[in-house]
Amino acid sequence: MIRPRAPGLILSAIVLAALLLPPLLPWRYDVIDWGGVRAPPLSPGHLLGADGVGRDLLARTLVGARVTLAVAAAAALVSLVIGVAWGATAGWIGGRVDEAMMRVVDALYALPFMFVVILLMVVFGRSILLVFLGIGAVEWLTMARVVRGQVMALREQPFVIAAEAAGAPPRRIVTMHVLPNIAGVALAYLLLTVPQVVMIESFLSFLGLGVQEPLTSLGILVKEGADDMDISPHALLLPGGLLVAILICLTVLGERLRDRLAA
Amino acid sequence: MRALLLRRLATAVPTLAAVVLLSFLLMRLAPGGPFDGELAMDPATRAALVHAYGLDLPLPAQMLRYVGGLARGDFGPSLVYRDFTVTDLIASGLPVSLTLGGLALTLAVMLGISAGLIAATRAGGRTDRILMFAMTLLTAVPTFVTGPALVLLFALALGWAPVSGWAGGDPAHLALPVIALALPVAGAIGKLTRAGLAATLRQDHIRSAHARGLSPSRVLLVHALRPALVPVASYLGPAAAGMLTGAVVIETVFALPGLGRHFVQGALNRDYPLVLGVVILYAALILLFNLLADLLYGWLDPRMRG
Repeated sequence: MIRPRAPGLILSAIVLAALLLPPLLPWRYDVIDWGGVRAPPLSPGHLLGADGVGRDLLARTLVGARVTLAVAAAAALVSLVIGVAWGATAGWIGGRVDEAMMRVVDALYALPFMFVVILLMVVFGRSILLVFLGIGAVEWLTMARVVRGQVMALREQPFVIAAEAAGAPPRRIVTMHVLPNIAGVALAYLLLTVPQVVMIESFLSFLGLGVQEPLTSLGILVKEGADDMDISPHALLLPGGLLVAILICLTVLGERLRDRLAA
Repeated sequence: MRALLLRRLATAVPTLAAVVLLSFLLMRLAPGGPFDGELAMDPATRAALVHAYGLDLPLPAQMLRYVGGLARGDFGPSLVYRDFTVTDLIASGLPVSLTLGGLALTLAVMLGISAGLIAATRAGGRTDRILMFAMTLLTAVPTFVTGPALVLLFALALGWAPVSGWAGGDPAHLALPVIALALPVAGAIGKLTRAGLAATLRQDHIRSAHARGLSPSRVLLVHALRPALVPVASYLGPAAAGMLTGAVVIETVFALPGLGRHFVQGALNRDYPLVLGVVILYAALILLFNLLADLLYGWLDPRMRG
């Protein structure tokens, strides 16, 4: 159904375009062109048209994608750090500590994440830093479970037992012998976390609780497009389509990597 | 089964208590209060307001007061909608959200299981691959994109359905929001059903059912589908959570007067008691759904009843 290389290529193209293209465009994403309010696509200077206050849609979409991807990468890294630390500790120590730590994960799984993040936004104000810290702080659970399982399996491996017998301190065994061996699986789940985070970030921004103006993100652009869709439907379809393309590529890549490592 | 349920209850109750405690404390930690408006307030008025809402009491006393209210079904006053209590707002929003969520969940289960059935019986074939790609697509597209896209196509371009509004639960007004909310969950259920069925169809009891001469459809629907639905049942808890989150967006997109809309408005207005009340209610609903999923689990898989 999907050509094997397609998701990676599309994703790279999107990332490169978001990083490199904006400075080359005639209009910045936050500059108003008073002559170009609601310019239709293919207008001079505005390849994809302009929004209701005359800002270039192509520039806005690319910068929005940049912000969305940056928030997603940062939040996924936060979730990686917490998840690996929590899971490795539980899996390595085992016994009661492990049971208690995993009980906490089970309990958190039952919580409405999105609402916890929104609660955090309401309480501490809406800042982009908080957006990804908050998302990262609630998205580490699956990572913790996976890492714990891997660490428990590795703990019984001869090379780990040998390292222990040779008197290596636990911290050294975990960082030098155990963690490198779970890097592949962790990477697969990291890839699967990114679309989740992209989804949460755009969801919050769509509701007006995430990234704030004048900065923009794909969620904000979808929201603005939805408000204007009876007049200029492309303002909804462009950022929406880009967001969906990013989500699908990341999901397919992550699932493929996970299945390959599981097999 | 009873042991499992008791164990789940034993974690659910403390979890809910922790949610109440933590969200209450978070709200009180917040910098800036509900009375920090743009206009400077007379100190005496301010003190009277703070006193009226009990915000001058020590924290444990505020906490006790709030929990005592919760036990009586009183979520406290709304700070923005001055004439309403949070309980009023929840009571007006909950039926809308439950109608929306219930219909969407039913639609998602029907669509997902049918797609999974069709795909699994044609495993490896063209139909299977197309259906599974469609399911991946559905799970990847967020509701805040499908919602506006459906409006664009069916309301603005074709004129088959109204753009937004509740209209007292009129079916035409409900169609688009229910579909938009159901699609991602349908995708996930479809994938799970297909995976479960494909594994079950290879097992010995299916071969022996065929050997006993039972009709293929009976084997499929009675012998194979039921055990294959176990993973679907365990997904229902997260699905309910997903529905609640999705409903927040859908109610905003379609201007439906549900709980999610109150929640977003509350969050934007920093209406603490409203946000707090909705979060607690959502947490309780999700825990309830996880318990129901466990019950269903036991019914589907007799080994779990032990």
